[in-house]
Amino acid sequence: MKNNIKTLAAIGCCAITLYACGGRKSNTVTLPDGHLDPCTLRFSWWGGDDRHSATLEAIALWEQLHPDIHITPEYGGWDGWTEKVSAQLSGGISPDIMQINYDWLINMSPDGEGFYDLERLSSFLDLSGYDDDVLAFGRVGGHLNAVTVSVSGRGLFYNSASYSRFGQEFPSTWSELMQLGDIFGREDMYPLDLDTQSGGTEWYFAVVYIQQRTGRTFITMDGELGFTQEDIEAALDFCKELEDRHVIRKVREHTDEDGSSALYQSPEFISGRVGGVLEWGSSVGKYEMVLPEGDLRAGPLLTGDNGESGGWMIKPSLMYALSANTEHPDEAAAFMDFMLNNTDCAQLLGTTRGIPSSRYAAESLESSGDLTGLAQENADMLGSVDTVTISPYMELSRMKEFYNEAIEKVSYGKADTGEAAREMYDAIVSYLEKIKK
Amino acid sequence: MKKRTYHNPVGVSRYTGLLLVSPFIAGFLVFTLYPFITSFLLGLTDYDGIHQPEYIGLGNYRYMLEDDGIHSAVSATLVYMLILVPLKLIVSLLAAVVLNNRIKGIGVYRTLFYIPSILGSNLAIVIMWQFLFTSGGLVNQLISAAGLPDVSWYGSGIHSMMMIVLLRLWEFGSAMILFLNALRDIPCEYYEAARVDGCGGVRCFFRITLPLLRNVIFLNLVLQTISAMQEFNAPYMITGGGPMRSTYTIGMLIYNEMFRYHDAGYANAVSWLLFAIVTVTVLIIYRVTRRSREEYI
Repeated sequence: MKNNIKTLAAIGCCAITLYACGGRKSNTVTLPDGHLDPCTLRFSWWGGDDRHSATLEAIALWEQLHPDIHITPEYGGWDGWTEKVSAQLSGGISPDIMQINYDWLINMSPDGEGFYDLERLSSFLDLSGYDDDVLAFGRVGGHLNAVTVSVSGRGLFYNSASYSRFGQEFPSTWSELMQLGDIFGREDMYPLDLDTQSGGTEWYFAVVYIQQRTGRTFITMDGELGFTQEDIEAALDFCKELEDRHVIRKVREHTDEDGSSALYQSPEFISGRVGGVLEWGSSVGKYEMVLPEGDLRAGPLLTGDNGESGGWMIKPSLMYALSANTEHPDEAAAFMDFMLNNTDCAQLLGTTRGIPSSRYAAESLESSGDLTGLAQENADMLGSVDTVTISPYMELSRMKEFYNEAIEKVSYGKADTGEAAREMYDAIVSYLEKIKK
Repeated sequence: MKKRTYHNPVGVSRYTGLLLVSPFIAGFLVFTLYPFITSFLLGLTDYDGIHQPEYIGLGNYRYMLEDDGIHSAVSATLVYMLILVPLKLIVSLLAAVVLNNRIKGIGVYRTLFYIPSILGSNLAIVIMWQFLFTSGGLVNQLISAAGLPDVSWYGSGIHSMMMIVLLRLWEFGSAMILFLNALRDIPCEYYEAARVDGCGGVRCFFRITLPLLRNVIFLNLVLQTISAMQEFNAPYMITGGGPMRSTYTIGMLIYNEMFRYHDAGYANAVSWLLFAIVTVTVLIIYRVTRRSREEYI
């Protein structure tokens, strides 16, 4: 018995010691030393094939210019990427340079200490090509945690072959879009596709519609819910009408036909049965690649019948940040500078990450006549209307769960729009309160 | 108490023995005991996985009472387990009985039956499932050819659950191997004596084979139950937990809370809930089957 007690006590001591040893240590920040040393840096990003191949070419160019600084690329699709980076940050093994999403700053660096303070690295990172308001997107708690690669918004892109089949122009108002549902529906086709998965475009589209009608912002930049419960109910009614009028597929049909595939991999999109998509200008390349050249075209941003054009949203579509624990801050900053500002690099990257926010990169593309294509058309359209900057709180994964759950409940007939709106309103208010504590 | 003495046939000292097992002990302490205890302690905190945890006592456990997500996850996990485990035991036992016969090329069949267990739910299998079960997939084409209406595999709760069950059912190789080994241990004399007494094949199976397999059935039952309750890969990759959370298992919830919603404290608390559910379930199985198992010892 005594031995058993001793054994248990020993195990307990071991456990407590292990726990004490394993306590989280604070970040050890390597300070800049002012010169570039030979090293290997890890650079991670997500995207489609167009972005991957362009980025790999840019890395090859960097390694030609800096043979002593090797870049190890880590890249993949969007699904699961946030989880991967979260795990890396939790384990203190994040890549030196990361492409990050706007809302990650809230979760991963709420006090500004989660990423390297880039203002310490001004010897190698030139920020003179940026407007102050664009730089402000990456500032948290007084620290510059990230630099915006491009500012982008979702726009409408259509398969022109599908539209030609019905002799229809791309819609310019919400009511024209609804009428197209009736026309496409005759042949069991759809003028547009929206999803309730990781993209969450169905709720995004409904938010634009309600913002345009009411002038209210869904969630403000400081994390306050701007919509009333009635606004949310109206947004859900709009989603239901889109499904009922055959503008988009019902959630069940969408899930049955595509399984877990993204839309750009779906036979329904590739075959043209689904004739449109709501996508970021910075990411539309992957949709363009799967259709015959020239088939995917940008359509106008929808307006109200009386010409109301507001409500469409923009945000820093992508940002670059450095790991707070990087052992090579100068070298990482120099590589980031190359990716953001270098004119030859800009030529290789083109608009695969949207229209560059860096003046140097944008001018390089403009002078070579490469500031064209869908991303540019989308940027031009967004530039011609009064846009709303998306609150990073709107993009949080938990918030997307609330939106998608409400839409699914309505689509499956498990709740009416009033009930789903009440649940969603309560969930959002309570979560925003919790996260801002 | 009488002191125990141990026979040491090779003359190895106690310290040499300890040295030899020390890699295991070190591995156990670092990779099992430490995470186990840390997980419990983190379950008592508000922790985002990145910054310092903050002690909140039983707050995470109290939140479970009002969280719809965990209610759906527990329910989906139990439904999944109740469908999968009996089916898997039946299929693997039948396959083992068939493969226990003297058939030409039996080694090839055994290998073929085991291959799905090696493949697991990797990306290639998920893509194959996609081709099989999406609305224009092979399964629905076969159903249509038989004149039956299409099945909404991904879009309906019960059908998407069946899709996951089928994937795991297909991987019956490990359970089958255990049955096959136990079948080979049953002396042929029992069957020969039974046949002399006029017993047919079916009766032999129920009167001889099944009773003598009880301990292995118990073992497989426990292993398959534990494995089913920890399910994560298949629903994560195939259905994403949908539709309407019908395949949202506890494993998926833990993953989402940890990596997607950055609520590591809650994720760890739910891990302990899962541990408790598994423990209670195994204890129930143990108690319910004890009498019948002891009869044959």
